[in-house]
Amino acid sequence: MSAATEPMRGRVSTHAAVTFLKNNPIFVAIAILAVITSIVEPKFRTTENLDNIIRQFGVLIFAALGMTFVIMAGFIDLSIGGIISLVAVVTVTQIDQVGQGPAILIGLGVGLACGLLNAILILTAGALTQAEALFITFGMSLVYGAVALMYTQGVTQFLTYSQSDISIFNAINSGSIGPLSVSAVMFLIALAILLTIERRTYMGRTVVLTGGNKVAARLAGIPISRSILMIYAISGLMSAIGAVVLASRVTLADPTMGTPWMTQAILAVVVGGTALVGGRGSVLWTVFGALLLILLNNCLNLLGFSSYIQFMLRGVILILAIWLDTAKQNAVSK
Amino acid sequence: MTSITQASRSVIGLQKAFLAILMVVIAMFVFNQFDATRSEFFSQLNLINLAKDSSILLILAMGETFCLIAMGVDLSIGGMMALSGVVVLQLINAGVPIPVAIALVLLLGLLVGAINGYISVYQKAEPFIITLGMGIVLTGLGQQLTDAHPVTSAVPDFASLANFQLFGVVPVLVLVMFAVVGITFWVLRTTSFGRNVYAVGGDYEVAKYSGINVMRTKAATYLISSVLASLGGIMLASQLNSASSISGDAVPLYVVCAVVVGGTSVAGGIGGAIKSFIGLILLGVLTNAFNMLRIDSLVSYLPTLLLGVIIVSILWLDSYGRKRRREAI
Repeated sequence: MSAATEPMRGRVSTHAAVTFLKNNPIFVAIAILAVITSIVEPKFRTTENLDNIIRQFGVLIFAALGMTFVIMAGFIDLSIGGIISLVAVVTVTQIDQVGQGPAILIGLGVGLACGLLNAILILTAGALTQAEALFITFGMSLVYGAVALMYTQGVTQFLTYSQSDISIFNAINSGSIGPLSVSAVMFLIALAILLTIERRTYMGRTVVLTGGNKVAARLAGIPISRSILMIYAISGLMSAIGAVVLASRVTLADPTMGTPWMTQAILAVVVGGTALVGGRGSVLWTVFGALLLILLNNCLNLLGFSSYIQFMLRGVILILAIWLDTAKQNAVSK
Repeated sequence: MTSITQASRSVIGLQKAFLAILMVVIAMFVFNQFDATRSEFFSQLNLINLAKDSSILLILAMGETFCLIAMGVDLSIGGMMALSGVVVLQLINAGVPIPVAIALVLLLGLLVGAINGYISVYQKAEPFIITLGMGIVLTGLGQQLTDAHPVTSAVPDFASLANFQLFGVVPVLVLVMFAVVGITFWVLRTTSFGRNVYAVGGDYEVAKYSGINVMRTKAATYLISSVLASLGGIMLASQLNSASSISGDAVPLYVVCAVVVGGTSVAGGIGGAIKSFIGLILLGVLTNAFNMLRIDSLVSYLPTLLLGVIIVSILWLDSYGRKRRREAI
């Protein structure tokens, strides 16, 4: 599995390449999708479409990167839909009150606080299994969503109606730094930081060990409580960044806009190859998982499938991904 | 682990949930003494509406009770309910006789339950995510079939199915609900299958070594849950004489919550038909009371928030109780 993350050095024999692709079918899937779509629909290769893909990538990837840590530790965070909705409405409504910079900071603070609240609930309840975390965060999603609804009275908040300067949001939406768009730079920075935490820090290692075997990790003296706090804080913060990017993109904030991103984020993580049971995974894999999902959506759009069929397929892929992942786990443990 | 799971007891439980219902009713009675807070809570219309609304959810809750006792969970019931309503109306509008249409939709429920059961029990995949995904698939299918528009029935006979009032008061729907609750009670209490469901949820390994066909028992709970969700969808379509593909969105969480409030643990092995009944009536009465009071528009989303807070508190207490027992041992 480590082959996925190590750069190829020197001459690569055909055998090694075949083994690599066999272990990482996701690259084959991405390539097949890209080729099929570009043959069937020449529009796929246009720069506009490429731009479109990168834009869609932005929102999903932040939520999915945060979710990767949670799933790697053997937990799950179903509250990110609620967090994204709440952060988006808080950020957009605060622009006129405190200015755009502080508004974004308040939004990120809300996301972080929601993540920490999840962790505290899970820790105080002593919820050590994924099922317990599942139920608690699912309930919290309802709470955050309801707070967002109460805060806005169910009214959509338009970014463009605000009286103050919204240049940061515009920059996130359409600005570019050199050849890269601003959201692409934000993504690369986030990926670099998270990858460093995952690979180079003690806390990052404890996350994987917690997911591998909680009892063994605890007996080995690994601070499980601290890693639970960290993973949910990261998940909340990354969802908040995703919410700001989303609000910039669609130039509005709606108290229910976050709902679809929860399944999408889990999908990206699991399709990328991170095991749902924890202990195995990487934020880098999630990047490819997200890419595959975006390409698939793009492909289905270009081929003219209705949005309902796409919605349905998302469910089918979720089921297939979890099923295959479980089959892989069962094969490993036998 | 045996002693932990067997020792886990209900959080709120039957008596407390029952007391809570009484408290809500008394509170509403007291509110009714003042002009400012007088409501239509005790009107016959509201009580019949409450019974009808709760009946559909109770049918679904009985299926969910089977799943939760066997330590599974079925989140596809909302999608199943919505899709069943849509399909049954479309079949009837297409000229299929009503009994055949109902039978076909129940078969569809059986098929979905079989898929849920196969993947989450025989393939050991996480049921929460599998059934969540299945719910998405079913909702999407319903939207594709109806282009996300509500369907109405052209055949008046179908509407009288749920709404016909026996003795002029009790709708057939309520009788169907009581039949489902009664059968669930009987199956869980007296049949060997019912015993096996408790055994599988209480301790999977022990049940397995006791010679119970654990996989078949657990998979059967998904079949029951799915078929009852279909039945609920048919009843809803009949009651409203229309069906919408998104009518089931909030249903699964609400039903799971109601079942847990009644005293069924998400860790399995504990629960029952009467407990779920009381739990669901409690949530139904609470939501209805909130809606009836309608204090002012500022708190119009307060019920949603309170529901979320109640759900999280119950689940938190459920986990915390297990933690305390774990530490006590």
